[in-house]
Formats: sequence, structure tokens, C-alpha cells
Amino acid sequence: MAGYLIDPSRAPVAFGRRAVPQLFEELQQPEADRRLRALASLCDLMHDPERIYQTVNGGFLEQLKVLFEDEDSSVRTKTCELLHLMTAHSIGRQALLSSSLLPPLSQLVDDNSSSCRRNVHRVLNRLTLLPAGADALLALVPKLMLKLRGEEDEEEEVQVLLLSTLSSCSRLDALPALASDGVSLLGHKLSHRSPNIRREAAAVMMALSVCEDGKLQVCEESLLPVLVDLLRDEDIEVQANAAGVIMYTVIITTGKRQCLDLDVIPILLELVSKKEEEEKERKSRKALVMYSLRALTALAEAPDGRRLLLEQLPLLLRRSEAAEEDHDIRRDAQTAVRVINWTP
Amino acid sequence: MAFVSQSQRAPNESYTFASRPRPVENRSKYREPPSEQTHSNYGNIMYDRRVVRGNTYAQLIIPTTAQPDPVEAQRQQESRRRAIARKRAREQFIPSTPEALQGRKHIDVQTELYLEELSDVIVATDVDCQTDAFLDKPATPLFIPAKSGKDVETQIEEGELFDFDREVQPVLEVLVGKTIEQSLEEVMEEEELACLRAQQRAFEELRNNELAEVLRLQEQERRHSEEKGRRIAQQKEVLKKEKETAEKIAARAYTQQYLADLLPAVFTSLRRHGYFYDPVEKDIENNFFPWLMAEVNNSLEKRYTARELLDTIIRDVTQKRLKMFKELETQ
Repeated sequence: MAGYLIDPSRAPVAFGRRAVPQLFEELQQPEADRRLRALASLCDLMHDPERIYQTVNGGFLEQLKVLFEDEDSSVRTKTCELLHLMTAHSIGRQALLSSSLLPPLSQLVDDNSSSCRRNVHRVLNRLTLLPAGADALLALVPKLMLKLRGEEDEEEEVQVLLLSTLSSCSRLDALPALASDGVSLLGHKLSHRSPNIRREAAAVMMALSVCEDGKLQVCEESLLPVLVDLLRDEDIEVQANAAGVIMYTVIITTGKRQCLDLDVIPILLELVSKKEEEEKERKSRKALVMYSLRALTALAEAPDGRRLLLEQLPLLLRRSEAAEEDHDIRRDAQTAVRVINWTP
Repeated sequence: MAFVSQSQRAPNESYTFASRPRPVENRSKYREPPSEQTHSNYGNIMYDRRVVRGNTYAQLIIPTTAQPDPVEAQRQQESRRRAIARKRAREQFIPSTPEALQGRKHIDVQTELYLEELSDVIVATDVDCQTDAFLDKPATPLFIPAKSGKDVETQIEEGELFDFDREVQPVLEVLVGKTIEQSLEEVMEEEELACLRAQQRAFEELRNNELAEVLRLQEQERRHSEEKGRRIAQQKEVLKKEKETAEKIAARAYTQQYLADLLPAVFTSLRRHGYFYDPVEKDIENNFFPWLMAEVNNSLEKRYTARELLDTIIRDVTQKRLKMFKELETQ
């Protein structure tokens, strides 16, 4: 019955309910080749949510723990890819959290093979879609920061994944990242040539600057000029994230002072008043406009800022009119106008 | 037991019996017939002891010599004796051929009409045959049978037995179907993930927005309360200073009033106590007068002394006179 395989890179898949259990039994074979094929077939199957349910409820996840310590790096890579596919669904993420697979997975972050590391980062990134997952990864944040710092020649994708994971974790709790000196590290990344990295670094910075300590560090490290440059970047996401950081930083007085020195108000006003034609563009710019409005609101609390903004009031009034469809932007603009017109 | 025999007794016909062939049941001789149907429990006739094995034309061979070997006879006799003993122990005594008398033995003898030669040598004859050497023979003429019947021919054209397009359909369906299914699943998954991410992003934006507002208001509150605190402290300072100043003024007024007539009082008191003095007067008082007094005392002393002396003299005189008068009187 040995016959040939139709697709030599995949193990034969049993029918119906037996598919997943049989493939997992195949995984216990001593030859690395067969295991690789079984893993490839499992990866194909795991796109279906029903199969993921079957895997999780059948308790097959524990078998993957053995595969993490396999000698063959392609087996390890495929295992991580399998986990990556499973964490696409909530039940997979929850199963991963409740199983004891996280410690060996965190060991694999230091693996030799770069494709394995990439897949591990993909898994961690998907895991942070779940807040409990981000919570569990908070313990790993120092290690990830170390990785980010050490691997300057790491591929762009891995860096982007790392930064994305860090941003999700820091949204929950910014302290571990701040403690590992995150702000200065990210400051370097902000001027990277790749827009993806800039975007993710700015996102992490935004998460970090929610906390008081973060804001102070941003001011101290004099990152505000860099951020103001990023406001003029081509990529909308980068602009939005940079605006977000500025929005948080100008809440404290030091930030206000530095930003007013850098003359950031005209730039923000320009971003707010730019006219968008299509629906799609409007949606993508929504975040940018909202953050800029909030930053202007905070800046309007400083007397210099208020003076400048009183002159530019009509621009903001236009945004706060009922003509503006987006309810949130209208509300933000009204708040800004109110703060500008406030007198003690 | 499936009793599938049919025995009918037609009224005018003979008795017929017919039953389907059935295998013999595999059960022990002395057991009750089993109640349930065990006809399926056929015994394998290969392993059935009742089936005769081997050749059937030469069994039950009686040995050639009618006289058995004496050793054999001894052994057989012994075994027989043991069997007999066992039988006696278990059952009644079954009469059998009495034992041979001493010096004689039983022997089998044929008593039928026609005697048979008994031997265990099977009569066998060798038979062989051999073909003759081939004789030369002329070639057989080709036998062509007369033509009869209709001529019919058939030929399989190309594509009749196997039509690729038809056969390949199911295979293709499966291949393409599975591939598309897989890719559809993957695409759906991607879409789901993209939706999820988009939703998360929207939520995050709103959250960041609101968070910024919250933080700004918080900061504002903090600044306001700080400012308020500072102002209150300042005000308190001012009040304290005012109070202090008022107290100082009151104290000064009181003191001034109190000390207003201090000076004349002091002077008066001092003057009273004699601290302001005219030095000449003082000098006269201190030096002159005591001396004067002392001199006056002295002179007065002298006078007194003189007077006392005088008094004494007078007394003495008087005393003497008295005495003298008395003496005179007495005389």
C-alpha cells in the first residue's frame, strides 16, 4: 500500500474525523522526514476552524512540546508555523495560553535558525491579539527588548513583528518596556529607513507615552524633533502614530514647552485641515485627524499656544460644524474650540 | 438444528423423506444435544477423528506371523492384567474369554469357508509404459472448415475504450476542488484576520483618543489643583503676615502707652529714693552732720557727765549733811 504520494511534501490525510488524530500519530515517528510532511499537512488543515477545535479539544497540543526540542530546524520552523495558524483563532490562542507551551516557545526565540525565529515572532504577535495573551507576554518584554537592541541586522519582518508585539504588550502595561530603557531604543528605530519599522516604533512609543514616566523620558531624550519630522512622513500610519505620541507628550508642561519651541502648531493645523475626497482616504486619515486635534487641544492650554490658535480658530470651526460626518472628529473639534476659548 | 427435512406422507404415495445436507455436529458422544442452533458450528472434517485417514484398501492388517512375539505377548498380558484390574475396581466383572491354561496360548485361526491369505504385504504390481518412437508421418493437411454463418467483424476505434477527457474529469475535479477549497479557507482566514485587525485598530484609535482626552483633563485638573493649592498657600501667608503685623502694631501701641509715663515715674521714684542728690548737700549730710552730731553728742556727754558729777557731788554733800545732821541730832 506504500504507493507514491501525490504531493511529496505532504503526508496523506485521513478522511473526516480521523485526519487530525492520524497526523498527530504520524508526528511521533522517528524519521524527521515523515514528521515534516505530517506537519505540512497539518498546516494545510489548520486553516479550517473546525480542525482547530478538534485539535484543541483532543488535547494534541502537548505533543508539540516535544517537537520544539527537535534537532531538525525545519521541523521546529514548521511547528511554529502550525502554532501561528492555530493562533489565528481565539480558541487556539486560549489553548496556547492555558497549555504549558509558552516557556519552551520563549526559549525558541533564541533559536539558531532565522526562519524558526521569524515564525516564533509571528506566533507571539498573533498571541497578543488576545488581551490575556498580551498579559502573559509581559514577562517576556525585557527579553524581547534585548532582542530588539541586539539584532541590528535582524530582518525587517522580524523587527516589525517584535515591535508590534511590544506595542500590544505595552498598551496593557508600559512599565516593563520603560524599565528596559525602551524610549531611547525606540528613538533610534524612529529614523529607520523602512516605513513599517517606523510605524511600529511610533506605535510602541505611543503606548509607552501614556504613562507619566514615558512622557518625561520622551521629553528628556529630545525625541520630539524626530517625531515632528515624522509628522511629515509619506506613510499615513507613521504620521498618525507620531501624532499620537505628540498628543500624549504635550499633556505635560515640559512637552508643551518643547513642542511650542519646535513650532509644531502649524504642522498640526495643516494635517487637520487637509481636505479628503474619498471615503477610504477619510477612514484612513481619521486617526491622524483625531490625534492632531487632541494635540492641539492640549497645546491650547498653554498661553502661547492659545494665542496662536485663537488666530487660527476658523479652521477648527470648520471641522466642528455639522457638515463633518464623522461624529468623533466633530466632537474633538468642538472640545478643541472650547478649550481655546476658555478664559480663567 | 435446522430441521429442514421434509417428510410427507401423501395419502396414496409412498413415504418420502428429503433433507438438505447438513454437516455432522461437533459434539461429544454422551452430551445432551445443545439447545441453541449450533449448525453453524461446523467441525472441520480435516480434524475430525471419525474421518478415516490414509489409504482405505490396506487397513486393519493382521500381522503375518500368527505366533506373536513372546516379549510382546508378555507386555500385552501385563497391560491386559492392569486393565482387568482397573475394570474390576470400577465395574462388574464382565465375562470374557478365560485365560489360556498353563503352557498353552490362545491363537487366532480362520474358520471361514474360504481361507484368506493374511499378510501385510500389499499386492502390488509394477506397470510401466513407454511411447513408441515417432514414426515418420506426412504433414497433416490444413484443416479448413467449411464456411458457415455470417461474417461479422468489429474493431475498437481510437478513443472508445478510454476517453481521456471524460476520465480526467473526476480527477481534475478533486484536484482543483481541493486546491480551491484550501485556498478559499486560507483566504477566508485572512479576511477574518484582517477584519479583526481593522476592528482592533478602530477600537485602539478611539481608545487612544479618549485616553488622550482623559489624560489631558487629568493633567489639567492636576495643574488646577496645584495652582489652587499654591494660591491658597499664598493667601494663607498673606493672612498670617497681616495678623502678625496687626499684633505688632497693637503691641507697639500698648507698649508706648505703658511706657509713656514710665519716665516721670522713674524719675520721681528715683528722686524719692534719693538717687538724685545735690553733692554739697549730700556731703554736708554725710560728712558734716555726723561730725556735728558727734561733737554735739560729745559736748552733751560732757555736760551730762558734768551734771552727773555734780549730782553725785550734791548727793555726797547731801549725804554728808544728812549724816552730819543725824549725828547732830543724836548728839
